[in-house]
Amino acid sequence: MEKLSYDAIVIGGGLAGLMAAHEIAVSGYKVAVISKVFPTRSHSSSAEGGIAAYIDGNSDPNDNPDYMTYDTIKGGDFLVDQDAAELLSKKSGEIVRIMESWGTLFNRQPDGRVAIRYFGGQTYPRTRFVGDKTGMALLHTLFQRVSGLDIDFYSEWFALDLIRDDKRVVGVVAMEMKSMTPAFFKTRAIVMATGGMGMLYAHSTNAYINTGDGYAIALRAGAALKDPEFVQFHPTALYPSDILISEAARGEGAILINNKGERFMVRYAPRKLDLAPRDITSRAIITEIREGRGFPGGYVGLDLRHLGEDYIKERLALAYEAAMNFSGVDATKEPIPVRPAQHYYMGGIDVDITGQNPDLIGLFAAGEAACVSVHGANRLGSNSLLETLVFGRETGRTVAKFLSEHKEEDSNNLDKEAEKVVDDAYKFVKSESGVHFGEILNKLRNVMWEKVGIFRDEDNMKDALSQIIELRKMSSSMYVLDKSSTYNTEFFNALELRNMLDLAIVIGRTAIERKESRGAHFRTDYPERDDNNWLKHTIAYLKGETVEITYKPVRITKWKPEPRVY
Amino acid sequence: MSEEEKEIVIKIKRSSKEKGNWWQEYKLKVDRFTQMTEVLRRIKTEQDPTLAYRASCHMAVCGSCGMKINGEPRLACKTLALDIVKKYGKNEITLEPMDYFPIIKDLIVDWTDFYNRMFKVKPRLYPSKEVLEGKADHRLKPEDQRELWKFEQCIWCGLCVSACPSVKNDPEFLGPAAHAKGYRFLADPRDTIFDERLKILIDSSWRCTYCYQCFNVCPRDIEPVTTIKKTRAYTKFVKEKTPVSLTGEKHAEAIAKSIEDTGKIEEAKVYISTYGLLTAITDMIYAMQNGKLKYALVTDTKVKNMTQIRKIMEGE
Ligand SMILES: Cc1cc2nc3c(=O)[nH]c(=O)nc-3n(C[C@H](O)[C@H](O)[C@H](O)COP(=O)(O)OP(=O)(O)OC[C@H]3O[C@@H](n4cnc5c(N)ncnc54)[C@H](O)[C@@H]3O)c2cc1C
Ligand code: SF4
Ligand code: SF4
Ligand code: FES
Repeated sequence: MEKLSYDAIVIGGGLAGLMAAHEIAVSGYKVAVISKVFPTRSHSSSAEGGIAAYIDGNSDPNDNPDYMTYDTIKGGDFLVDQDAAELLSKKSGEIVRIMESWGTLFNRQPDGRVAIRYFGGQTYPRTRFVGDKTGMALLHTLFQRVSGLDIDFYSEWFALDLIRDDKRVVGVVAMEMKSMTPAFFKTRAIVMATGGMGMLYAHSTNAYINTGDGYAIALRAGAALKDPEFVQFHPTALYPSDILISEAARGEGAILINNKGERFMVRYAPRKLDLAPRDITSRAIITEIREGRGFPGGYVGLDLRHLGEDYIKERLALAYEAAMNFSGVDATKEPIPVRPAQHYYMGGIDVDITGQNPDLIGLFAAGEAACVSVHGANRLGSNSLLETLVFGRETGRTVAKFLSEHKEEDSNNLDKEAEKVVDDAYKFVKSESGVHFGEILNKLRNVMWEKVGIFRDEDNMKDALSQIIELRKMSSSMYVLDKSSTYNTEFFNALELRNMLDLAIVIGRTAIERKESRGAHFRTDYPERDDNNWLKHTIAYLKGETVEITYKPVRITKWKPEPRVY
Repeated sequence: MSEEEKEIVIKIKRSSKEKGNWWQEYKLKVDRFTQMTEVLRRIKTEQDPTLAYRASCHMAVCGSCGMKINGEPRLACKTLALDIVKKYGKNEITLEPMDYFPIIKDLIVDWTDFYNRMFKVKPRLYPSKEVLEGKADHRLKPEDQRELWKFEQCIWCGLCVSACPSVKNDPEFLGPAAHAKGYRFLADPRDTIFDERLKILIDSSWRCTYCYQCFNVCPRDIEPVTTIKKTRAYTKFVKEKTPVSLTGEKHAEAIAKSIEDTGKIEEAKVYISTYGLLTAITDMIYAMQNGKLKYALVTDTKVKNMTQIRKIMEGE
């Protein structure tokens, strides 16, 4: 197997990975970025609404970073580590300024300064944006910037597994997808920036490639996930493609209706109606569908018609265009078909505010793959793009410092380990019969959606967990029909499924254990938040089929927990 | 909101190193909401896992899923199956890899050459030292932001390049996407390497034939050809002109003459007087082979009246 050597390897070419790689490279270290898609095809490109930032001299005069921190903590239902949220707020202005200086075409105020808009949960408006394509604009800016540096890109290379000795990571095995050639990347530091896991759920606003690889790779290497039970759902995803229809639509007066034409939110949130928080609205929609008041296929209508054609086309251009382009629905003539969908993963590889994982020396993580934790039990809109860049940069800097302090050490038997990783992966190709990934995949996505989704309770989750374990067993007899040695996407889909199953077990198990409702984790059998017993982070390891759970206190600096009412 | 299902036939042009090329047929039920990426995903997970294609965002922002759908270069995610059925009046949809790009497997093509072209135009802002060091901030007028944003939205999908006849014929031509990207920075008032950019772009900008293919196929309405026109307008700032840009200027003069004589663009005449008979004929044959002539003719309707023609010429 080919052997390559770098000071640091970043796995993931989204915003978090590229920012980390930038910092490592400008510190003078040799770094490579491995990504299973060309970097600009990463999920970061999908982000629409914006990136939150307090900019000194260019914010609401009453605003300050403390308000921003408080909003983030409250939004996260107090499971947020407050020092992390403080860092996020403090560095937000600087990071947006840097992206601007590198060329991001932020929307402007008439005087030429970067413009601001409101986002849910903000005391003062502080979201910076580039039309409705903020993620795309940021990702292209950053990729273009780093493509001018001395960084090696391994695009369309699939990371299989980490190689470690007894306490350190020492490399990663990845495979070039085009030629199916594996290579062993020897390194002193690994940054996991592999993004989210939306494909674990039957309905998700995420890209097809978000299969949670990084979480599973870290788990298999012996690192813990923090707060893995926290999965965010968004109430209005376009049917059936699950493309996000922004909350702005309801903000502008769109209403949700069922198949009887009723404005059903009257029953669920009589005062806030269609503007109730994401979690309440999601639950209401699912209830309508489950009780037979949805439309065939399983969706409700987001009705804009009463607003009139001119208003719709002017103020709700985005919702109008998305419905037209991706569902062929003219929102001036009929309601937009919507349903809730998985949207974001608050859980992730356990790291501290420097991006370092406490289990393994040399393992770092950033972005949606990591749990720092700034989002706690529920992420606030426009805080995630910010997190990718702020903590991508912090992590990159930590890695540079780490590299200056840690010399390379000799490790034995690594080649054999690397061979084993490839052999394990190739099992699927070598078998001549068994089940196909599609069959297991569809079952997994459905059971996660039905039983470990928006509504959770003990019985359903226990049932789900035993099904997941069953599917995981089935997956050992998974086989790949395509034996080709060029761009074997079936093989990579099988590997992704293996990763999804490893993560699913951990989500299922930890969700059963958390016996309270907090943020996105809603238990019908424990509907209240319980700070006495559960104001703590879940830390989960995967050992074979067993999930080992411990807990860790939430870091509180100056904001005492209070009820989350808006 | 009815959503009747309809069974359609999908014919996919497949290829692999091991098995060569073949067409394969799949049948599946779709409703009026079904995107072509969803069609592909369902074929792969439910019928034939060996099918290879690229897709990521399913919302037309990542640029992964470019392919030919019933012969038209399109993004699969931005295409609804039943819209295609309706448009072509038949229940069968064909999928093929994009033209021009080398095929790796099934619908997956090799983008290496495309990326190299994009990197040739130095696709990043070179801000002033003060701004880079945080000692000064950019101000950008909202109208400049809007103008640049139009061209910034390129998602590197390659569709325009797959459709561009000049890229295929002329190795010196950077191609529509790289020109759009290059112009986006050339026109940015915050950039500091104008002369260097112009040098990279100007000769190439005269190698475009204004066939409007890139304009027709771009899923983000970038109008690469417009950026090429706008770049040509900078020719006057270039001191050492290359033979191509000189020919280009001749082309512009020929158009002017044709309009003076007849009041309309006689496309063929202009073409011949600019490039000479031989090139013109080769290009025509090329266009016919690629089924592109119908598009070439369509472009004539783009120019509707004299004001518009003058506008375009002023652009040059
Ligand atoms: C529809 C939508 C809209 C959103 N809008 C907003 C918004 O307006 N504001 C906001 O703040 N947030 C928003 N978010 C959230 C935000 O976009 C994401 O959380 C963020 O972009 C994640 O970035 P990342 O760098 O962590 O990961 P990603 O951008 O997902 O990148 C992951 C990278 O890892 C690579 N990778 C994964 N697995 C492997 C493997 N096995 N081998 C090699 N490489 C691998 C991938 O190729 C990719 O390059 C939105 C999310 C969605 C779904
Ligand atoms: S107009 Fe120019 S760039 Fe566009 S497709 Fe035609 S030749 Fe290519
Ligand atoms: S200019 Fe348009 S068609 Fe060409 S690569 Fe960019 S987005 Fe695609
Ligand atoms: S899947 Fe991203 S552009 Fe089509």
